[in-house]
Amino acid sequence: MDLRRRAALLAAAALVAGGCSRNGGAKKLEVVLVVKALDSEWWQRVKAGAETAARANPDVNFAVLAPEREINIDQQVGILEDQILKKVSALAVAPAGVSEVVPVLEKAKAAGIPVLIMDTDVPWPGKLGFVGIDNRLGGRLACEYIVRAIGGKGKVAVIRGVLGVATQDDRLAGCREVLAQTPGVQYLPAQPANSERALGMTVMENLLTSHPDLRAVFATNDQMALGAVEAIAARNLAGKIVLVGFDATREAVRAVVAGQMSATMAGHPERLGRRSIEETIKAARGQPVEKYVDIGTVLVTKENANEYLH
Amino acid sequence: MKTAARSLWARTLSEALRRFGPLAALLLMCAALSLLSEHFLALDNLLNVFRQSAVNALLSLGQLLVIITAGIDLSVGSILGLCCVLAALVLKAGAPWWLAILAALAAGAALGAINGLLFTKLRLPHPFIPTLGMMNVARGLALVITGGFPISELPGGFRYWGAGAVVRIPAPVLVVVCACVLLHLFLTRTTLGRDIYAIGGNRQAALLSGVPVDRRLIMVYAISGALAAAGAVVLAGRMNSGFPLAGVGAELDSIAAVIIGGASFFGGVGTVLGTLVGALIMGVLRNGLNLMNVSAYWQTVVIGAVIVAAVWVDVVRQRAMRR
Repeated sequence: MDLRRRAALLAAAALVAGGCSRNGGAKKLEVVLVVKALDSEWWQRVKAGAETAARANPDVNFAVLAPEREINIDQQVGILEDQILKKVSALAVAPAGVSEVVPVLEKAKAAGIPVLIMDTDVPWPGKLGFVGIDNRLGGRLACEYIVRAIGGKGKVAVIRGVLGVATQDDRLAGCREVLAQTPGVQYLPAQPANSERALGMTVMENLLTSHPDLRAVFATNDQMALGAVEAIAARNLAGKIVLVGFDATREAVRAVVAGQMSATMAGHPERLGRRSIEETIKAARGQPVEKYVDIGTVLVTKENANEYLH
Repeated sequence: MKTAARSLWARTLSEALRRFGPLAALLLMCAALSLLSEHFLALDNLLNVFRQSAVNALLSLGQLLVIITAGIDLSVGSILGLCCVLAALVLKAGAPWWLAILAALAAGAALGAINGLLFTKLRLPHPFIPTLGMMNVARGLALVITGGFPISELPGGFRYWGAGAVVRIPAPVLVVVCACVLLHLFLTRTTLGRDIYAIGGNRQAALLSGVPVDRRLIMVYAISGALAAAGAVVLAGRMNSGFPLAGVGAELDSIAAVIIGGASFFGGVGTVLGTLVGALIMGVLRNGLNLMNVSAYWQTVVIGAVIVAAVWVDVVRQRAMRR
C-alpha cells in the first residue's frame, strides 16, 4: 500500500476514533489472534492472511501474538490471561497444548469473550467454532502417496511434532491407517522433533544410522522435513529416500521442485489466517459463526508445485 | 572529618542502592507501564502478574540459595519438568492430592541432594557440571516416563494449588509468600542460613571456622530441588497437566531473576526480597509488553537488556564505593 493511502486511512481512523470518543461508547473492536509461535513460514503466512482479513474491517484493532517457541505453553497461557484481562472483543487461538490451554479458555468464556479455535482443534465445548484442515485426511493422503512411491514395500518412518497436540496426532493417525492396511510396509516410530528444523535433522540422522534400509519418511510438518533434507543430503542419499512434509511452505515447495523432497501437503496458511479472523470478527460483532470451516488440503508434488510457489 | 562524613554518606547511599535499587526499578517500571497501558494497574492484572511470576519466583528462591554459595543450579527447569510428570502420575495412580504434592517435593529434594552429593563427594570441579548433568538426566527421564505425552486432566484438590484462590488472592501467590517468609527467616535468623552466606563469602574460611561445608551445600541443592518441585506443583495445577517439556529454559529465567535482584555471582550476597523483586520485574515486563501487544521476541530482548543493566548499575556502585 502506498504511504499516502496509508496516511489517509490513518487520518480517517483517527477521525472515526475521535468522533467515537466524543460520542462516548462505540469503541473499536479488539480482535486478537494467539498462535503457537511465529518462528516459521507457516505462522508468518497465517499472520499475513489474518492481517488481510483485519484490514478489510477498519473498525477492528487487530494483533497477532505468540510465545517464542511452540513448546512454551505456559507463555501462551500468560499471553491469553493478559488479553482476557483487557476484555478484548474476541479471540482466535491456535492452542499450543490441548488440555493445558483449556483452563484459560474457560476463563475467557467466563469473562464473556468469544473464542474461536484455529489450526489445532481442542475437545472444548465452549469454543464458538473451529477453522482448520482435516489433518487426518492430510496424513492419509501423504502416506497413500508414500505407499505408492515405494511400491507398497519397505520401512517407513514418521517424524512428528510435540506429542499430545491434536494436529500432530491426527496427521500421524491418518498416516498409520494407510500404513496398517499395507502389509508390506513396516512402520518405524521416531522421537518427536517438536516441529523444529534442527531437531528434525537430528532425528533423521538417527533414523538413517539405525535403519540404513529406510525407504520413506513422513514428517508431520515442513520444518522437520527440511531438517530431514539436510540429514539426507549429508549422507548423499538425496532422491533415494521418499520424503513427504506437511504445510507446503514456500521453502518446502522449492525443495519439492529441486527433488530434495518428494511431496508436501498444502495447508493454505493465508486462507487459514484470513478465514479464522473473518469468523472471529463476526463473533466480535455478535453475529453467528460457522461451527466448522474446512480449509482443505491437497498433495503437492513436482507436477503441481508451481501453483504453490507464489 | 569532612571527607569521612562524605564517605559515610556515599556508603549509605550505595548501601541503599544495593538494597532498594531493584525495588525502586520495579516501582519505576510499574509507574511507566501504568501510563502506557490503562489495564496495567487494575487489581486483576496485578494478580495476573503475581500468578504468572509465581513459578519463576519459586525456582529463583532455590537458585538464590545456590548462588549465595557461589554456585549455580542449571537443573531447576528440568527438575520442575520431572516433578510435574511425577505428581501427575501419582495422581493418576489414584493417590490423594496431598500425597502427590509430598511425592513431588520429596523427589525434587532428592534430585537436588544428588546434585549436592555429586558436587561435594565426587569433587566435580564446579556445580555447573553436576547440575548440567542433572538438567539432561531429569528432562530425559520426564520424557522417557511419559513417552513424551502430557498427562492431563488432574483432580481439583491438586489443581487448587495452581489455579485456585483464597478470596481473590491466587493460591500460587500464597505459596510464594510462604516460601519467601520461611526462606527469609532461614537465611537471616538461623545458624544454617548464616553458614550459607559464610560459604559463599569465603569457602576456605568457612571450612576453617568449623562450618560443615559439604553438608550445608548438599542441603542448599536439596532445598533448590524442593522449591523447583513446588514450582512444578503450581505449574501442573495451573495448566491442568503434567507435561514433560514444562520448564524448558526456566533455569536461565531463575538465574536472571536472582541477578536482577542484586545477588552476586561471586557468592555471599543476595536477599529473598531482592530475588522476589527480580522475579516480579521479569513478570511485570512480560505482562506489560503483553498488554501492549508487543511480540514475545521483543520481550526477550528487553529482559536481556535489563539483566545486563542491573549488573552494570551494581558494578558502577561498587566502583564508586571503592573510590
